Amino acid sequence: MSKNKKKFFQILLVFAFLGFLGILINNLIINLARTGLGFNFNWLTKPASFSLAEHPLPYSPSDSYAWALFIGWMNSLKVIISSLVLATCIGTLIGFLRVGKNSFFSIITAGYITVIRQTPLLIQLMCWYFVGFLNMRNNSFLSISNIFNISNKGIELFGLNLSPEFSALLFGLSIFSSAFIAEVIRGGIQSVPLGQWEAFRSLGISEKQGFFKIIIPQALPAFIPGLTSQYLNLAKNSTLAIAIGYSDIYAINDTIINQTGRAVECFIILLCSFLILNLLITKVMGIIDKSIMKSGI
Amino acid sequence: MNNINPNLNTNSFQKLKKFLLSKSKYNFCNFIFFVILISLIFNLLTWIFINSNWKVVTSNLNLYAFGSFPIDQQWRPTLWFFSLLSITFITVYGPKWNWLRKNLIFGWIGTVPLGIYLLNGGLGLNPVMTRHWGGLTLTILITSCSILFSLPIGILLALCRRSSIFLIQKLCSFYIDVMRAVPLIAVLFFGQLLIPLFLPVGLEIDRVWRAIIAFTFFVSAYIAEDIRGGLQSIPNNQIEAAKSLGLNKYQINIFILIPQALRVALPAITNHLIGLFQNTSLMSILGLMELLGVSRSILANPEYIGQYIEVYIWLASVYWLFCTIMAFVSKKLEQKMTINKGY
Amino acid sequence: MTCALKLRKFIVNLLKNMINRFFFGIAAFGLLLTSCASNQNKNISRLSLIQKRDELICGVSGKIPGFSFIERDGSYKGLDVDICKAFAAAIIGDSEKVQFRPLTAAERFLAIKTGDIDLLSRNTTLTLSRDSFGGNGLTFAPVVFHDGQGLMVKKNSGIESIQELANKSICVGSGTTTEQNINDTFESLSLPYTPIKYQDLNQVVAGYLQGRCQAMTSDRSQLAAARSGFKNSKDHIILDDVLSKEPLAPASDGSEQKLADAMRWTVFALIAAEEQGITQSNIADKVQLATNNPQLKSLRRFLGVDGGLGEKIGLSNNFVVNVIKATGNYGEIYDRNLGRDSDVPIPRGLNEIYSKGGLHISPPFN
Repeated sequence: MSKNKKKFFQILLVFAFLGFLGILINNLIINLARTGLGFNFNWLTKPASFSLAEHPLPYSPSDSYAWALFIGWMNSLKVIISSLVLATCIGTLIGFLRVGKNSFFSIITAGYITVIRQTPLLIQLMCWYFVGFLNMRNNSFLSISNIFNISNKGIELFGLNLSPEFSALLFGLSIFSSAFIAEVIRGGIQSVPLGQWEAFRSLGISEKQGFFKIIIPQALPAFIPGLTSQYLNLAKNSTLAIAIGYSDIYAINDTIINQTGRAVECFIILLCSFLILNLLITKVMGIIDKSIMKSGI
Repeated sequence: MNNINPNLNTNSFQKLKKFLLSKSKYNFCNFIFFVILISLIFNLLTWIFINSNWKVVTSNLNLYAFGSFPIDQQWRPTLWFFSLLSITFITVYGPKWNWLRKNLIFGWIGTVPLGIYLLNGGLGLNPVMTRHWGGLTLTILITSCSILFSLPIGILLALCRRSSIFLIQKLCSFYIDVMRAVPLIAVLFFGQLLIPLFLPVGLEIDRVWRAIIAFTFFVSAYIAEDIRGGLQSIPNNQIEAAKSLGLNKYQINIFILIPQALRVALPAITNHLIGLFQNTSLMSILGLMELLGVSRSILANPEYIGQYIEVYIWLASVYWLFCTIMAFVSKKLEQKMTINKGY
Repeated sequence: MTCALKLRKFIVNLLKNMINRFFFGIAAFGLLLTSCASNQNKNISRLSLIQKRDELICGVSGKIPGFSFIERDGSYKGLDVDICKAFAAAIIGDSEKVQFRPLTAAERFLAIKTGDIDLLSRNTTLTLSRDSFGGNGLTFAPVVFHDGQGLMVKKNSGIESIQELANKSICVGSGTTTEQNINDTFESLSLPYTPIKYQDLNQVVAGYLQGRCQAMTSDRSQLAAARSGFKNSKDHIILDDVLSKEPLAPASDGSEQKLADAMRWTVFALIAAEEQGITQSNIADKVQLATNNPQLKSLRRFLGVDGGLGEKIGLSNNFVVNVIKATGNYGEIYDRNLGRDSDVPIPRGLNEIYSKGGLHISPPFN
C-alpha cells in the first residue's frame, strides 16, 4: 500500500470510528433523556442507606455511596489477595505432585485437575457455600483446639473469624484457580530440558536438592506469564461473589443500581476499578519477573 | 517429592501397576490417602443412592433439557442434539476419507444455523419464541453461536493487532486489553442492560442474542490473543517465501499464516471455549433461563423448596460431562492435526 | 481451473473487497442507524407497540412460590403471572400471548426504562421514589396484593420479638425494599444486626434453614409460602411485628400514560368483577343477560355492551369479558394461586374486597 493511500485510509478510519462512536453516544444521550435517567455522579455523596455484613473499615448505612463502593473494593481486594496466596500454595503443591514420580498422587491430582477444571466456578461456589459451609450445622467440622476451627460459622483462625461467605469464596476461588495454576507449574517444569535432570543426577546431587536448586530456578521464568494470567482470571472471577452473598464490588454496584437506577455510571465505576486492579496485578508480576531475571540464571 | 519423573508419557494404567507393585517408602502415605479417598467416595455414594431425594431432578428432566420448549415440539432440540452428537462422533471416530475430513468443518459450521432453524422454526416449522428456549438447549445454543461468531472476529482482531496501519493496531490492542481486563459478568451485564441504551429508539435485539453478542465480544478478545501467539510462532521466512511465490497479502494471511496459527493456538482456544461453556451459567445471575437459571426457577416450586444440594450436584455432573466431551474432542482434533501435518 | 479453486478465488476476492470497503461499511451502517433513530416515530405509544407486536412482554421474578415460578411442563404459574395474563387478555385479546421475562430485583427497573419489557408484575412495592418522576419514573397500577414485611425465626430459638434479634444475623434478599426496611427498622430501634444478602428468595430460605442466620425477612406472604414448603413447617414462626406496608403492584414506564390507564382499569375490572359476582364460569351468561336487558345499564357498560368505555383507554370495548374469560376475577386468581387448596395457602386478610373487610375496591366503571 502506498504511503498516500495509507494516510487516506487512516483519516477515513478516524472519521468512521468517530462517527460510529458519535452515533452510539448520541443514542445513549437520547435514551438517557427519554428514560429520565440522566448522567452525573452527584449521587455518590448521598447516604447509601443499606448495611453491609462485612466491612474491613468502619461503615454505617448513613455513609455515602462512594464510601460503600470503596468498602466493596476493599472486600474484593481482601478476597482476591487471600485466595491468590492460597491458590498459589495449593496449585504449586498439586503441580509438583502431578509431575512427581509417585504414580498414586499423580493419578489423584490428574483427576482433581480434570474435575475442578471441567465444572463451572459458579456451581462450585454454590456447592462450597450451600452444600459445604452451611451444611455443617453447628457442630464444627474440623477443629484444632482454639487455633483453627471450621464450622458453619465460617473459619476461625487465631481468633480471627472469617464469615462463611468469605470462606466459601476463598475456598472456591482458590481451589478452582489451583487446578489451573497446577497446569502452569507442570508446563513450566516440563519446559526445562531433560538434559538438566540427567546432568544433576550424574553430578551426584540428590533429587530433592536438584529439583529445588536446579530445576525450579530454571522453570521460574516460565511460570510467570501463566501465573499472571491465572491471577488476573482469579481477580475477575471474584465477581461471582454475588451468587453467595458476599459484598464485593460487583455486588455493591448491583445494589446501588437497583436503588438509584444509575446503571451507566455504576458500570463505568466497575470498569475503572477492574482496569486499575488489572494494572496492579500486571505491574506487581512484572516486578517479580524482573527481580527473577536479575537474581538469576 | 524427591522422586521426580519428567517422563509423563506413561499411561495411567501403567502408573497404577507401578504404584501397586512399587515398594517405595511412600506406600504407607499412599495407603492412608487411598483409604481417605475410598471413604469419601463411599460416603458420597451412600448419600447419592440412599440419603438423597432425586425427585427434583428426575421429574424435571424435560425442563433441564429444553426449558419451556413446547412439549409437542421437543423433537426439534432433540434432533439438534443428535446431529451434534453424530458430527462429534464422525469427527473423532469417523473414516479417514479425505473429502469427508475436508468438509467436516462445514458440517460443524452448519450445525449452528441448523440449531437456530430448529429452535426458532419458520419455513415449515412452527415458530417458537426465544422465551421458550431454555435449559441445556439454550446453554448449548449460546455456546455454539458464540464460538461461531467469536472465531472469525478473533482471527480478524489478531490480524489487525499486527496490522501495519497504526490506528487499526492501536484500536484493536485497546479493545483486546480492555476486554481481557473486565470480568465476564460485567460484560454480560452490559449486554443485557446497557446495549438497549446504545441502540436507537425502537430497535430491539432479543435477549438471547444480546447474551450471544456479549459472549462473542468477550471470548473473541481471548481468542485473538491465542491466535496472536500462534502467529508469532510462525517464522518470518515463511512470509518471505510466500511473497516470492507471488502471493499477495490476503493470500498469505488466509493460506499460510492463519491455518498454522490456528493449529498452534488450538489447545488454548479450546480451553477458552470450554470456559465459555461453563460461563454460560453466569447468565442465571442476569435472569436468563439456561441450565442453571432453569434450575433456580425449579427450586422456587413449593414442591422442591430446600432440595438444592441434589440440584447442584446434578448440574455439576452435567457440566462436567459436557466439558469433558469437549476436551476429549479437542484432544483428538489436535492429534489428527499433527498427523496431517504432511512433512 | 477446478471448481474449488474458482470458489477460493471468489472468496479471496470477496474478502479483499470487504476489507477495502469495510470502513465504508461501518460508515454506511452508522448512517443507517442514525436514519433509524431519526425516522423513528418517538410518539408511538407502548400500548400500540404491544398490539402491533401481538405479544406482551411481562417482567416477572420467576423465583417466588405462589407469585411466579416455573411448572413442570415449563409454563409459568402464580398470582403475578395471572395478572400478566389478564393484561394480555385486555390489551391483545388473548391471554396466551405473553412473554414472561424472569428478572432479578436489581435489573427490573432498568429493564422497564430501556423498553426491554412492557410492564412489570414482579412483587414490586409501590413507593414514592419508584413512582415519582424524579425517582425511578414508573407508574404503578392499583395494588394487587397487600403485604407487609415480616420476620421468620425458628421456634426453638425462643425469639418472640424484634428486640431479641439484636446482634443476630438476618437473611435478606438484596436489591429490594425489604433490605431498606429492615435497615430502617433496626436503625430506628438502634439495634445492631448483620444482614446476609442473597440474590433470590430460595437462597435466603437456604441460608435461613441451614442456620446461617437466626431470622429471615421478607414479605409475610413469601415467608408463609416458603414455610409451607418446609419439612417441619410448624417449627418456624412468623413474628407478629410487621416492619412495613408492602403494597405490591404492577408497574410500567411513567411516560406511557395509555398503557398505564389500560393496566389500571384491567386490575380494577378484576376487582369489580368479584364485587359483582362475575366469574369465569358465569361470564357468558352475564353477557347474555346484559345484551338482553337494556335496563341493566351499569352491567352493560362494564361488559362493554354499550358505553364504549374500552375505547377510551385504547382497548376493545369488551376487554372486561376477555379478561374474566381468561383468568377469572380477582378472587378466583387469588384462590387458584394462594387460596386454601393451593400449595401456598395464605389467608386473604387485607386482600379481601372492601365489602368483606379487605382493602380492594374498584372505582365505578362510568
